[in-house]
Amino acid sequence: MRRNEGEAVRTLVQPGTPLQPRRILEWADVGGDLRITLAGGQDLLLGVTQALEARGVRHAAVQVLAADIARMAYLTGQADASGQRAATYGAPTWLEGPVTLLGANGILGPGPGRATLLHCHAVVVDAAGRLHGGHLPPGDCRLGPGGATAIAAPLRGAAFAAAYDSETNYPLFQPVRLAASGGGE
Amino acid sequence: MSGTAEIENGTLGRLAVIRLRPNEDLVTGIETACREHGLRHALVRSAVGSLVDARLDAGGKVVTVTGPGIEILTLGGELRTGAGGALTSDLRGTLSDSDARVYGGRFRRGENPICITLELVLQEWLPQGDG
Repeated sequence: MRRNEGEAVRTLVQPGTPLQPRRILEWADVGGDLRITLAGGQDLLLGVTQALEARGVRHAAVQVLAADIARMAYLTGQADASGQRAATYGAPTWLEGPVTLLGANGILGPGPGRATLLHCHAVVVDAAGRLHGGHLPPGDCRLGPGGATAIAAPLRGAAFAAAYDSETNYPLFQPVRLAASGGGE
Repeated sequence: MSGTAEIENGTLGRLAVIRLRPNEDLVTGIETACREHGLRHALVRSAVGSLVDARLDAGGKVVTVTGPGIEILTLGGELRTGAGGALTSDLRGTLSDSDARVYGGRFRRGENPICITLELVLQEWLPQGDG
């Protein structure tokens, strides 16, 4: 990793050749939103993913509106000392509940192995009142008795799907056109 | 007690599925993507990504967060096209750095370069009578 010095705003040199276009936009058809409530005791990300898959939805924009968390892990970013990537995740931070979720954004789509994946970042406050936040690894966020509420906008006609990105050397969600018959579901 | 308020009638339209690549600015990159595709008014439905470094307006101060790999925890706000045709945005959110410190504020234009990616879904706002 190298830094472009002497600039007011720093940019990073990625391991791969810059790809074009730098901004990608695909239009998705509007459909009805889905409000999801999850009972306590289950995993937040897996619960949202499974609830949407049960409705045939594999692509969506998700906002978690509220969640009561019994135990969770999150990851934060840092420079990648190996030089293989511009940034990577550090070791997980574990929180014991009660943890209160303040907000979370997620993108649902087919992951690198084609299984449906919810890429989700969240901000939470712990039992002592301290703020935390980061990337939520699927399977590591067990809900407390209060459960969770989320709102999802299913994506039809266009959505995100994971594909290898040679510029960053990561599999990343990329905008893709969907077959008309398959829609976002 | 009295106050003033304006209400704009409208409906929510299409969803825009957007990715910004590394070093694109969070604010101007989103604005440019909207201009390139004729998206005049929109609000954020969901966003996940990271920044190289970040600068936020918060509480009358400029908060600088040093990365890389700053996680965008939440992003909210809207983009509007004015009567003169100029598109501007008001984007606010929360971040965490590598030491898990959390920050919040309004993202400053041109000062929030994307680190690895931004996955963003905007929804079109269609004001009644907008031409």
